[in-house]
Amino acid sequence: QQAQPAFVPRRGGTGETWDLAEAAAVPVLPPSAGRWIPSPAPQDILYRSSVCRKLRAGRSGATLDFAKQLGHFFEDHPEDAFGSMGRLLHKNFYLGNSKLKRPARSSTIRMTTLMKDIDRLEARRGCHRQHLASRLRWFSHLCRDWLFEVPLGLLADCLHEELLLQWSDLLFDDSLTGGALAWLPPGDTGSRTGCLVYPGGQAMNHLFFQDMVLEELPRAQGSPAQFELSGRIRQVAAARVDGEDFVGVRSDYHCGVWRVPGRTGTAPAPLQVIRTDVPASCLTVSPHLPGELAVCTQSGTVYLWSVETGLQQLRHDPQTMFFRDHSPWRWSDFTAHPRVLSCADRTGLQCLDARAPKKCHFDLFKVGEEAGCQQGERVVLPMYLGRAHPSQYLVTTQFSVYVLDERLPLVPVLKWAHMMKAPPLFAHLMPGDPGRTHKVLLGASRTQELLLLQYRGERWSSRGGSQSACQLAGAPQKLHSITGCLQHLPTQLPHHHHLLQQRLGAPAAGLAATVQGDGTCETMLIFQLSEAGDVFCQRLTHEAAHPPAPTSRDEATTAPGSSPLFEDPASSPLGLGTAALRYHRWLRALFRGCREPPQNSFPPSLSQRRLFTRKELEGPTGPTALQRQVRQWLHQVMREGGLIQHWEPVALQTPPLPQPPEPEGGPDHLSTRLTAAWSGDWEQWWEDRTSFSVAQRQRALRERRRRQKRARGRRSLSASFTSSLTYQSELSELSDAGPPLLSPGRPHVHSQEGSPPASGPLPGSPPASPAPDEALLSSQSLQCRGIPKERRKTLRDYLSVWAEAPPEPPELPGSQASQLCIPSSQSQLSSASQTRRKRPRMGF
Amino acid sequence: SSHEHKLNFKKSKEACLSYLQDAMLQKQWKRAAEFLTFYVESLEKDYSREPVGPSEMIWRIGTEILCHHSRSNMKEFNCFMEQMKTLGVKRYLKVCLEHVFHLLCNGQIDEAYQNLSLAESWRFGEQTAIQDKEMKLIQAYRGLLDYYNWSKQKNILLEHGKCADGFADLSVEQEMHSCFRKAAVNLKEIIKIPGVWDLFVKCYVDMLEFYGDHNEACQVLNEYAYNSKFPANPNAHVYLYQFLKRQGESKKSLISALKILHDIVPSHELMIDFNTMLQKSKKRKKRRLGLEVIFAALDYAGWKENVKAWSCLARQVKQIVIAEKHLDWIKQEWSSRKDWWPAFHFSRYLAKRNWQENKSLSYEKALVAGILLGKDCKYFKYVSHQGCKAQVKKFRMLKKFVNRHNPVYLRISG
Repeated sequence: QQAQPAFVPRRGGTGETWDLAEAAAVPVLPPSAGRWIPSPAPQDILYRSSVCRKLRAGRSGATLDFAKQLGHFFEDHPEDAFGSMGRLLHKNFYLGNSKLKRPARSSTIRMTTLMKDIDRLEARRGCHRQHLASRLRWFSHLCRDWLFEVPLGLLADCLHEELLLQWSDLLFDDSLTGGALAWLPPGDTGSRTGCLVYPGGQAMNHLFFQDMVLEELPRAQGSPAQFELSGRIRQVAAARVDGEDFVGVRSDYHCGVWRVPGRTGTAPAPLQVIRTDVPASCLTVSPHLPGELAVCTQSGTVYLWSVETGLQQLRHDPQTMFFRDHSPWRWSDFTAHPRVLSCADRTGLQCLDARAPKKCHFDLFKVGEEAGCQQGERVVLPMYLGRAHPSQYLVTTQFSVYVLDERLPLVPVLKWAHMMKAPPLFAHLMPGDPGRTHKVLLGASRTQELLLLQYRGERWSSRGGSQSACQLAGAPQKLHSITGCLQHLPTQLPHHHHLLQQRLGAPAAGLAATVQGDGTCETMLIFQLSEAGDVFCQRLTHEAAHPPAPTSRDEATTAPGSSPLFEDPASSPLGLGTAALRYHRWLRALFRGCREPPQNSFPPSLSQRRLFTRKELEGPTGPTALQRQVRQWLHQVMREGGLIQHWEPVALQTPPLPQPPEPEGGPDHLSTRLTAAWSGDWEQWWEDRTSFSVAQRQRALRERRRRQKRARGRRSLSASFTSSLTYQSELSELSDAGPPLLSPGRPHVHSQEGSPPASGPLPGSPPASPAPDEALLSSQSLQCRGIPKERRKTLRDYLSVWAEAPPEPPELPGSQASQLCIPSSQSQLSSASQTRRKRPRMGF
Repeated sequence: SSHEHKLNFKKSKEACLSYLQDAMLQKQWKRAAEFLTFYVESLEKDYSREPVGPSEMIWRIGTEILCHHSRSNMKEFNCFMEQMKTLGVKRYLKVCLEHVFHLLCNGQIDEAYQNLSLAESWRFGEQTAIQDKEMKLIQAYRGLLDYYNWSKQKNILLEHGKCADGFADLSVEQEMHSCFRKAAVNLKEIIKIPGVWDLFVKCYVDMLEFYGDHNEACQVLNEYAYNSKFPANPNAHVYLYQFLKRQGESKKSLISALKILHDIVPSHELMIDFNTMLQKSKKRKKRRLGLEVIFAALDYAGWKENVKAWSCLARQVKQIVIAEKHLDWIKQEWSSRKDWWPAFHFSRYLAKRNWQENKSLSYEKALVAGILLGKDCKYFKYVSHQGCKAQVKKFRMLKKFVNRHNPVYLRISG
C-alpha cells in the first residue's frame, strides 16, 4: 500500500537534451545530376486575370486556368488532337502568302489572315477590346464541333478532372505519405557502415542504395547500386528481419521489394514486383516475417503481400470505415501479431486478422469523441511503434499526435497537439534502451518542418509492480529544415541565389534517422530527402555524462546559428569546417550542373508588324545609297565582331578631319581610373581629370567652331537647317559619349563594351549626325510614306522605348522638317523650344 | 479603414504567434516569454471565432513557458494561474484542474486540496454538459486526495494498534471515517460515467474491502469490467481477477475472469498464470484451453523471447507427446501456424542468436521445434548440435527425446 502517492505529469517532465551540432542541415550527397523539374506551382494552373479576379472577388476558392491547359494540350499533342482531321483537310487550308487562284478558291481557306489574327490576339493579351477578333470567333464557332479528334466535351471533362486533381495535390499531396528515404543501419554492432536508400534522377525513378560511413558527418563510400524503375518513386519503406533488410518501394502503379543482405558489400537483390490497376497508396514492410509486406490501393483494397505465396486480399471497401470521407487514401501497417494488420483511412484505424479478415477485426482508433478529436480532424499517418513497445501505435492527424495501445483500443494513451503548419507525412521512430526515452521524428512535406518528440513508454516501476503510463518527456524540439541553411550560405550571385532558393525550398520527400555512439557521447543523425533528390543531414549530440544545468541550456547555447556554418577562415585555425567544405563542394557541383542557359531568356521583343502593315513600312523606292552603305558597314562590323556606336553617313561626312590626338598616349581612362581607385587615391584622379577635361573642352569648342564655319560654307544651300545640326553637335557634347575615332569615314566601331564615362568630347570629334534609321522615321519620311500624323507619335514613342536613340525627334539635315510636323508632346516641345532658343547664340 | 486595421491586426497577431511557437520549439523560453507579453495585446480586440481563442492560447503557452523557464517559481506559477482563472469563465474549471495537477506533480498536496475545494464551490450560471463532467472530475480528484488521507490515517492506526493507545486512536479513527465518507461519495460518482477510471476504481475498492463491504466492491468491479458502455479495458478484468483471488474465490470463477481477459488481450502477462492454472486442471477441456492460451500468447512479437512462456508450452507439448493422447490438439493449433511460425520463431538466424543470448530459451524452443517440425528442423538441429558440442547433458537428452518421438511430427503435420 502506497502511503505517499507520486503524481507524474502526462507531458512535461524532463527529457534528454539533444543539441544541434551544426547551424544548418548539411548535404551528404552530391546534387543529383540533371536539372530538376519542379512540380507545378499554383501559378501554373490558376487563372490570373484582373477581370476574373474582380468577378470572383466575392467567391472563395481558386479558379483553374482551364483554357490555357487545353491550349497546351493542343500545342503539345497536335497529332492526338487533330491528326486525322488535319490530314483530311490539309488540301483545304492554305498557309501561303500569295493570292489564291480561281479554281482552288472555291474549296480552300486562306489561313494567313487567321494566323495573323492569332498573333495579334497574343499581342493584345490583357486588352479589353478582345472582341475585335471576330474572324477567330467565327472560325472557332464553325469548327468547334468537328475539328477535334477527341470529342471536345470529353477531353474537357478529363482535363478538368486532372486539373482538379493537380490542384488538390498542390493543397495536400498524400502520395508522399511515409517518405521515400530509408536508412539501413550497420549489420553488426561494430561496423559503422550503413546504407541509405533513396530515389533520384530527373523523374525520381532511379533507386539508389548508397553505402555510408558514419563519421562526424556521414560520408558516401563507393558508388551506389542503382536500379531504374518505370515510375516515380513515392515511398521507400524498410524493415530488418533476421538480420536482413527488406526494402519496399512504391510508385503509383508498381510496388517492388528488394532484399539487402546483412553483410556489407553484398549487392541488394530485387525479389518481386507487383502491378496495380489503381495507384497504390501504402506499402509497409513486416518487421516480423521476411518478405512480407502490406499494400493498399486507392480503391480501398488491402493486401498482405508475401514474396513466397503472393497477394492475399484482406479487405475491399471503397467506403471509409467510420464516417463518410472523400479521400481514397488508405494505409496499412503491421501490429504485434504477425497475422494481424492494421488498416487505416482518414477516419480511423481498424485491425484485421489475415486468417479471417471478414470476421476478426476490432477498431483501434476512431476520429471522434473517445480520442477528443477536433472538428475536421483526419488521420494523416499511422505508424507501428513495435521497436519501442510491441503493442503501441502512433497516429498523427493534422492537429495532434496520438500514441495508442492495441490492448486498450480507442482511448489514446498519449495525446499532444503538434501545431505544425502542414500535416506530418513522415515519421521515424528511434527506440530508446530501457530507462531511456523513445524519440519520434515528425516531418511535413511542403513546409519542411521537422520536430523531435521524446516519450517514455509504459514501464514497470520498481515498487509495487504498478505500471506507469506513457509520458511525453521534455518539450518537443524543432530541427533544421533544408531551406533554413540559405541564410548561412555566403552571398551568391542573384541568379544562383534564386536557383538555390528554389532548390532548397523544394518540398521534403522523406525522412530517416539513426542514433549511434557509445554511452558517453551519442549522436543522432537525421537524413532529409527533398523532392529535388537532395539528401541533407543534421547531427544532434547528447551528453549523458553531463546532465545540463537548467541555466546553461538557455537561449545563447541552444539558439540556432550560434555555431556559424561558415566561419571566417582567418578566425578559425583549421580553416573551414567539415560542414562548410561539404557546402562548398555541393554548391560548386550544383552550379556546374545548371550552367546551360535557361531556355526562356530571350529579351522581350515586339514585332513592328503588329503596329504597321508591311506596306506602311516599305520605303517608297528601293534601298537608297545611304541604306546600302549602312548595310555594308553592318556586314563588315559583324564580320569583325564589333559594335556600331554611331552611324556616320558618308554622304554627310565632311572631308577627312585631322586625326584626334590620342589622349595622353598612356592607358585608357578606365584603366587609369580603376588603377587609381584600387590604390585608393581616386579623388586625386578625379581632380586631375576635371582640370584636364576643362582644357579639353575648350579645345573641343574651338575645333567645332572651326568645323561649323567650314560646313556652313559648304552647305549654304540650306543654311537654316544648320540649326538642327548645331543642336545635334551640342547634344553630343552634352551626352559626353564620344569614343576615340578609329578611322575617318567609318562608323565608330567599338570593340570593347562600355566607354570611359568621364571622357569629354574628343577634339576633332565630328558632330554626330542623325542615324539613317532615325532618318527613316523622321516626320518627313513617315509622312511621305503615308503614315498618318497620329500614328507617327505612337511610332516614335514606341521606338524611344526600344532604341537608345536621343530623346528628341531626330531631324535629317537638309530635310524639309518643319515645326508643324512635330506632334505636340512634352519632350518634343521642349526640344523645339531649345532649338529655337539656341539659334541666336549660334550667330543668327 | 477599420476592416484593413482588423486585417493587419490579425496578421501581426498570427506572426507573433508563429514567432512564439518557434521560440518554444527551440527551447528559447526567455524569448518566448517576451513574445508572450506582446501577444497579450491580442486580447484587446479579440474578434476571433476559432476553436482556440487568444485567451486560451495565452493560458496554454504561458503554462508551458512557466514550466520550463529557468527563473520561474511556484509562486509565480500560482499567480499566473489565478489570473488565467478569471480570464475566461467557461474555462475556469479546466484551468483549476490543470493547476491542481501541477501542484500535485510538485508535491503540494494540501494546496491542491484547497484548490479543489474552492473549485468545487464555484458556480456560474447554467451548467453545461462539459462543465458537469469537469466538475465531476474535480470532485473525483478531491475524493482521491481524501482517499490518500484516509490511507495515511489507516496506516497510523494500524501501527498504533500494535501498541494499544486508546485515546489518541479515537480521533484518528474518526478522522479516518470522515475521510472515507468524503472520498466514497465522490469516487462512486465518477465511476458511474463511462470511461477509464482505473485509479479511482482501485482506491474505492480498497476502501470498501477495508470496511468489509465485499458485495459492493464486487459489484463495482463487475460493473467496471462488464458494462458495455465502458471502453474494453483489460485492466478492469485484471482488477476483478485480483479481487477474486484475494477473496479466495473458486478456481472456476478465476478461470472465467481470465478467460475473458484472454479473449480481449491474448498477449496479457497473466496468460502464463492462466496457462499454469489450466494445465493443473483435471478437466480435458481446460487443459485444451491452456494449450490454446499459450499458443496464442506466443503469437505476439512481445513474447518471442519469453522463457517462461516457452517452457510452459514445452512442458505441455511434452506431456501430450509422452502420453500420446490428444495429439490432435497440437495438430489443430499448429495447422493455423505452420505457415508462419517456422519463419517467425524457428529460423536459423534466431537459433544462432538465442543460443548466444539465452541458452535456456533456446532449449525450450528447440524442444517445441523438434516436436512440431521434426528432427530435421533448422532450429532444433542447430541448437542440439551446439548443445551436444558444449557437452550439456540437458541437450543430449533433448536430442534423444526428439529422435524417439519423431513419428509424432509426421502425425501432426500430416
